[in-house]
Amino acid sequence: MIGKDKIFSLISPIIKKSAADQTEALLINGSGGVSRYANSTIHQNMFETNSKVYFRVSLGKKIGVASCNSLTKESLNSALNKAIEIAKNQKDNPLFTGLPKKQAYEKVKTYNKKTANFTPQQRAKEIKKTFDKAAKYNFDVAGAFSTGDAEIAVLNSNGVACYQPTSSAGINIIVMSDTSSGYADGLSRNVDEIEVEKLAEVAIQKCLDSRNPQGLEPGEYDVVLEPTAVAALLEWMDYIGFGAKSFQEGTSFLSGRIGQKIMDEKVTFYDDGNDDKSMAFPFDFEGVPKKKVNLVEKGVAKGVVYDSLLANHDHSQSTGHALTPDSPDRALALNLFLKNGDSNVKKMIESTERGILVTRFHYINGFLDTNNALLTGMTRDGTFYIENGKVKQGIKNLRFTESMLRAFSNVVQLGKDRKLVASWSTDVGCISTPAVLIKNFRFTGKTEF
Amino acid sequence: MKEQVKETIQYLKKKGVSYADIRRTQRLSQNIKVKNGNVEALSQNEDAGFGVRVLYNGVWGFAASSILTPAEFKRIANLALEIAKASAITKKNEVILAENEVYKDKYVSKFRIDPFAVPVNQKLDLLIRSTEILRKHPKIKVAEASMNFFKTEKIFANTEGSLIEQMIVESGAGAMAVAVEGTDAQWRNYPNSHGGNLGTMGYEFVEELKLLDNMERVRTEAIALLSAEPCPSLETTVIISSEQMALQVHESCGHPIELDRVLGTEISLAGGSFMTLDKLRKLRYGSSKVNITADATVEGALGTFGYDDEGVKAQRTDIIKDGLFVGYLTSRETAPVLGQKSNGTMRADGWNRIPLIRMTNINLEPGDANLEDLIADTKDGILLGSNKSWSIDDKRLNFQFGLEIAWEIKDGRLTGKVYKNPIYTGITPEFWNKCDAVCNRNYWKVWGVPNCGKGEPIQTMHVAHGTSPARFHKVQVGVSK
Repeated sequence: MIGKDKIFSLISPIIKKSAADQTEALLINGSGGVSRYANSTIHQNMFETNSKVYFRVSLGKKIGVASCNSLTKESLNSALNKAIEIAKNQKDNPLFTGLPKKQAYEKVKTYNKKTANFTPQQRAKEIKKTFDKAAKYNFDVAGAFSTGDAEIAVLNSNGVACYQPTSSAGINIIVMSDTSSGYADGLSRNVDEIEVEKLAEVAIQKCLDSRNPQGLEPGEYDVVLEPTAVAALLEWMDYIGFGAKSFQEGTSFLSGRIGQKIMDEKVTFYDDGNDDKSMAFPFDFEGVPKKKVNLVEKGVAKGVVYDSLLANHDHSQSTGHALTPDSPDRALALNLFLKNGDSNVKKMIESTERGILVTRFHYINGFLDTNNALLTGMTRDGTFYIENGKVKQGIKNLRFTESMLRAFSNVVQLGKDRKLVASWSTDVGCISTPAVLIKNFRFTGKTEF
Repeated sequence: MKEQVKETIQYLKKKGVSYADIRRTQRLSQNIKVKNGNVEALSQNEDAGFGVRVLYNGVWGFAASSILTPAEFKRIANLALEIAKASAITKKNEVILAENEVYKDKYVSKFRIDPFAVPVNQKLDLLIRSTEILRKHPKIKVAEASMNFFKTEKIFANTEGSLIEQMIVESGAGAMAVAVEGTDAQWRNYPNSHGGNLGTMGYEFVEELKLLDNMERVRTEAIALLSAEPCPSLETTVIISSEQMALQVHESCGHPIELDRVLGTEISLAGGSFMTLDKLRKLRYGSSKVNITADATVEGALGTFGYDDEGVKAQRTDIIKDGLFVGYLTSRETAPVLGQKSNGTMRADGWNRIPLIRMTNINLEPGDANLEDLIADTKDGILLGSNKSWSIDDKRLNFQFGLEIAWEIKDGRLTGKVYKNPIYTGITPEFWNKCDAVCNRNYWKVWGVPNCGKGEPIQTMHVAHGTSPARFHKVQVGVSK
């Protein structure tokens, strides 16, 4: 970690001396390690320290962006000058009305020292516990355990000067037998909240329960989606529909539907970067404070998230959801929540006559028909047939092809407890979601395992 | 910097490592995007750093940093050693590397025009003119054109004495029209989906794409899709375009032949493979018309290089020979499982990542058919256009692809009828065994795929596929009921 004071004293003079009309610097610095394991041994074990500084400058309405990953004054000045040179060759951007102005930010806790300093040895010892537990059943374990820290600062010539340190710890565990697999995952700013052994037990139990899976014909089934499975759907919904860019271009499933009821009234999606029950982060990558945005409220389409340029297009205000200046998507809901209900997975199973319990999905794609939020993907690592309120047996994996407008119109129950699931960047956010029971979910294909 | 790399290698030797390598990488990239006549993005990025990989007591450690001082080289070398010691806590087997020649070499990819020397205004002019043609219809809501350029310089050294310097230049461009009517949006891309096409070439690659000559057709097709019927759900004969064949090869052959995946080391994210060791030289992967190679030496292709990130020379390997599965993509660590040397496919997407087995140019070799003859020989069928979506299970068996467009074939001719939102699906070996024709070299094109994802943290690799259109019978089109 460099620290707020050193970062500000490094960047501020460069901004002051900039020849551009307006200048912004976004600095991201971090260190972290990832231990990957498979066949119950660590096979890839890494540490990285890296920085990135983006300069965004304006000359009138011409914008230039350049970045570098060296923090020497020479490199930083070179990147700034490159941004100015690019701006000189630019065309006017009619949507640009100036860089964001100084604003106040919520105070949120995003840093845990122990997590930041967690060592490869400590990760290895935790991982070994999962191997030892699985070995009792002759199961193999695979997965990844990551820990690290980051610090993000945005400074601009309009007085924006914000800084936030973060830490994150995340683990995924797959336990495998000859015929089955089980999965569990955890995510937190605080490594002490990652209960590795408990997660291993969940994955082992799923692996045990899904041994010798039976084939099931595709068709419509009621589904109990565990939070990790729901999060995978939400991640794609965000990507194709919750950002202002796709909304303005007419490819979002919210385009032309604001104010319309598009889902069941039990369904509320919102983004809240200041809720520290999730992986909170108080400002976006252009230094605008995060605002809570209702995307779908009680089933009614409400709105999308903006950066400052996209907001100008709609004569609106930025909601504090800008991505890095080189991102083609511009603004996404990085702290996405699905509002909880009062149920749980056990109750959902008990109220299902004939259905499927899904642990997680694999390789979802949402480009089939974005206006209808049509997604496809496969189940994996623990898929079960439910009959008469009980999990009857493990089943071979299935492909779903389903519109999320239809699926979330068929929501029957939402869980009370929400889980944090890793998404685009655990430095600045994640998905918080409960389990969901959905009626008549469309499975369209099957595979051999 | 070369001296620093060499000194650190000597330092690690003294520390008693059984093997170590260092990659010092510097990458310059430029991205330009024009949307509806306005410049949406214009940015340049410089990224540099080094990674140290050590094998100590039979297990790996890796550390990397963007700070390029002598003290940091030493700190990172020591850290890599410490990490290897942590790996030893769960050690089961000793990593043994396949032998490799020692190389002292310099490799520069072939290019004629340095893309970073071409004025930005010239690039913007071409992109703006492209979007102006695309926008000449009120229903085109988004007209987008983009270019991407990369210049990567690497120094690789290992404790066996190799010292390899490489410079690779890559260029690409593409354009897209999105037609919108009510809540329906349809899009067409040129020359291919997901950003166009890229190659290991200079700016001449962009010039040869002839963007302006193709914009009117792209616009017309996007508009036509708005009023097109949805693709029907049925089992039929399909002729798959060269550009979609690239993704078909990528997902259903390129990934399952990665030997690290086969051995289970990618299971946590990307999954495993149905092409297990017992199937080598036994699995009838496809019909006798199907020949697939891995070839990192194809001139100008996006998966072409001089040496991989373990210092193994680029090479060509048979993967599917007359339909029979005969080879994997391997590394120095995995090749000994087969009693082989590495075939040179280990690459990292930057200095800060561990090299993994990655596709190079995985090519469906040309067959002997003419596309016109294939269409004339098809009574009922569908010609499938470029890719829109892709999904496959975690052993690479059940796949489903969505396309931007499809055309009806009836009584041996294209009727002119267009279908929107086409999908086709299948099980990999069943599907490839339904292939009865692959078009000849006249139709063979190399498609760069710049967004192949693998590993944790995710690594995005540049790979390519040379493909011709091919015909398959009894394929499920639309979503099965």
